[in-house]
Formats: sequence, structure tokens, C-alpha cells
Amino acid sequence: MTATMTPLEAISEKLHTTEPWVDTGGVHWLSPGELKVRDLAKAMNELRARFVTITAYQLPGEQGFRLEYHWDLDGCLLGFPFLLAGDSLESAKIDSIYDLCEAVDWIEREIHEGFGIHFSGRAYEPLLLRQGDTMGVNLRDVVAAGKEKI
Amino acid sequence: MSYKIPMGPYHPALEEPYKLDLICEGETVQDAKLHIGFNFRGIEHLAETRNYIQVIALMERVCGICSNIHTLTLCQAMEGLTGLTPPPRALYIRTIMAELERLHSHVLWAGIAAKLMGFKTMFMTCFELREKVMDVLQAISGNRVNYSMNRIGGVNRDIDDPNAILKMVEALELEMARTVIPIFTTSSTARSRCAGIGVLSTEKAISCGVVGPVARASGLPQDIRRAAPYAAYKEMEFDVPVQPAGDVRARLLVRALEIMESCKILRQALAKLPPGEIHTEGEKFPFMTGTATSRVEAPRGEVMYSVSWKEGSRNPARVHVRTPTFAVMPAIRWMVVGQRLADTPLIQASIDPCYSCTDR
Repeated sequence: MTATMTPLEAISEKLHTTEPWVDTGGVHWLSPGELKVRDLAKAMNELRARFVTITAYQLPGEQGFRLEYHWDLDGCLLGFPFLLAGDSLESAKIDSIYDLCEAVDWIEREIHEGFGIHFSGRAYEPLLLRQGDTMGVNLRDVVAAGKEKI
Repeated sequence: MSYKIPMGPYHPALEEPYKLDLICEGETVQDAKLHIGFNFRGIEHLAETRNYIQVIALMERVCGICSNIHTLTLCQAMEGLTGLTPPPRALYIRTIMAELERLHSHVLWAGIAAKLMGFKTMFMTCFELREKVMDVLQAISGNRVNYSMNRIGGVNRDIDDPNAILKMVEALELEMARTVIPIFTTSSTARSRCAGIGVLSTEKAISCGVVGPVARASGLPQDIRRAAPYAAYKEMEFDVPVQPAGDVRARLLVRALEIMESCKILRQALAKLPPGEIHTEGEKFPFMTGTATSRVEAPRGEVMYSVSWKEGSRNPARVHVRTPTFAVMPAIRWMVVGQRLADTPLIQASIDPCYSCTDR
């Protein structure tokens, strides 16, 4: 990082990406491209950015899911959208960053329960919000029978 | 020999249901496991079935203490999707409501903390003071819990007589400075029950991603009002109290000092309240397709809303809420390890937890 770099440019350099930052809806977005979520988490740790949350979206049809990872860097909210295949319950998966970022524990567990997305490399039990209940019944349409129970 | 003591989900030390499984060796806590979900209502899912008016009323019910903050954050996000900018007077009224809510939340917490310390007289004093804050909130909004103040593009009710509110705030500030703050900061009871208890180190606070007064009591000077100002906070002068110790006493001091800062902000906002409209014209809103995010500093720390909309739809496609207690609560595990079992009720209360917010 050089003295004339903005914080966002410093992040791009650290992530070895030339993708442009897009400032919209109160967030500075960067498309992660080929970047792995674990590499992103390591870079955020090095920058001492504060993890805020992950927001999960179910995309129409069988397009899968979008997971938006948010970190705060000196009051600047950063967003990194990751797309996940999701044509079956088994295919929606992404690496967990729990071992790199302790703060993601509950939100990874919540998304796992609500959307049935698997965060590889971690354990979840017991369920966080609906102990003893079926996984994926909160927001995920594919488990229609479970959804009707709400 | 180690043994497990379950605290909750229904326990005299808990204001709302959650469960703390404490693994103890004698009187000392060796580890703890937290269980939430006893209040889970599926509000995020329910939000997708409500239109842009109904969803505000729904999200106001996420929390009974900081109900105004939830509608403020939601409305700010929805304003991002409609391109509407509230008039200056509305921004000031939003700031006033947010600070009054912080006052009543912090005084309520001070009362509960006093009760857990065995300081019953102070509990009654705090609740008497909180009633006065509630009176101000009622005078402005007509309500004591769900104020229904925020709407897309502004606020629903005006402050007709700022001077009357100012007098109430001054009386409150005087009472806080004369009774609550000195007792919490100087009394030997408060010191002996709180100093060096339930420490969350700065490093652990960073690692856990804690927010609000808990973060500031562990030496992290983070406050969304300062870092990313919203409403009229850019025009307010205030300090962000920070304490480095990370113990229960530091959390007590941070909130006590924040009470005084809130009074300072309230006096400025009421004195400078600009004239004009309190909301934009029209009742129908042209939502754009996309996602907007908004963050505010609630009494317990940063609240974040992500709202997603499809053009032409009356309902949001997705509303995601990240509440402060959801971020802070996992850190309780690290605060109680190595502490006496008898101190765990006060330690868990020191984060000012809101389980209703956490479960949504």
C-alpha cells in the first residue's frame, strides 16, 4: 500500500483484483470474481476490517443463491457478493470462514438453517434458532412442506 | 469435579428467554454454551408478505425497547430504493427520537444492572427516571413503546413545542448528573461488583466483532453516528465515550457517559430544529429494483438492514436484519470463563442483551 492509495484501492491491491468498486445502496461493492471467500476473509483480517454480516438471497428458479459478505472498514461498509449454485439442496455450499473470523459463527449457522446452504469445514449442531426443527424451513421455498408448518 | 448448571431459558436473572449452559469447576465457570431461538418469530420471512406500509409496522415490533431504531433503519434503506430524501426537519426529529430512545434504553439497563448488583433503591430511582423519558416520548409520539414516528421520506408527527421538550430534557439531565451517574461511577457497591469482572479484551472484542457500548468499553472507538453519520448527526457535536478496561464497570461507565452525551445531542437538536415539512409529498413510492443497506447506532450498537425490492412490487423481496445483540451475545462465553458463578447474571446483563431482537 502506498501513501496516496485510498482504502478501497488498498483492498483491491491486497486482493489482486482490477475489478471496479461500485458505490450503490449504501455499500461499496466489489465483485470477487475468481477470489475464494477464505482468501477474502484473510485479507479483511490483515486490514483489521470488522465483520458485519452475511445476507443470503434466494435467486429465482434454480439459479441458486447470492451470499453478500459485509465488512466495515473505518465506517465504510464493504460488500462482496458470492453466487452459489442451488439446483439441489446438496449443491448449495461455500467454504466456512469460521476458523478465520470468529464473528461469523451465528450468521453462518442461521443461514444454514434458513436456506439449507452448507458452509464446508465446520460443525453446526445444535441448530441455532429452531432447535429440533427441520433445516431450511424459514425462507427456502424448496422445502415447501416444511414452510407450511410456520 | 466439573458440573453443568443451566441458566434459563426462564431464570430470575434473565429479562427474556435464552439459555446459558455453564460448565463449572467448584464456583468457577470453565466454559459456557449459549442457546437462543426461544423467541424466534420468522419476522424476516413475514416481511416478504407485507407491503411497504405494513412492513414498517411489522419491523417496529422486532424490539420493544429500540422499536424506533428499527423503523428508522428500514425507512432509510427504503428511501435508498425510492430516491427520496427526507426534509431537514424530519432528519432532526429522527435524531431526537433516536437519542430519547437511547436514553430510556440506557436508564432501563442501569436499573436492571442495579437490581442484579443488589442495589434495589437505585433500581427504583432509574425506573422513576425512565418514566420521565417515556413521558417525553409519549408527548411527542402519543405512544410509549411503538412510536410509529418513521415513514418513507420523513416522519409522521411533528414536534410542535421544542421548548417544552427541552425543559423536560434539562430536568432529566440534572437528575442523571445528580443521582444516577455519581452513584454508578463512585459507589463502592458498584465498584466491588463490577471492577475486573467479565473482562472482554480489546483483541477478543475485535475477533468477536462486537458493537456498541460493549465494543467501546473494550477500547474500540466505533460508533456509526460518527463513522457514517445519518439523520442529522453530522451537525451534532458529541463525544464517543471509550473505556479500555473491558469489564462490567467499563460497560457501566460507557453507558453512563453516553446518557450525558445523548442529553447534549438532544439540547442541540431541539435548539436548532429547522422549520419546514416533516415528510415528502405523496403516499405511493416508486421502488427501484435493487438492494439498499442502512446502518444506525442503536442503544446496543450497530443495526443493519438490507432491503431488496423488485420494481412494480408492493412487497420487499427480502429484508435482512442484523441486530447488535446478535453480534455481541456470542462474546458472553469469553466474558464468563474464569469468573465466579454468582457473577454470571450481572456479566450477561452487562451487554444489555435483547433476545427479542436476536431471534427476530
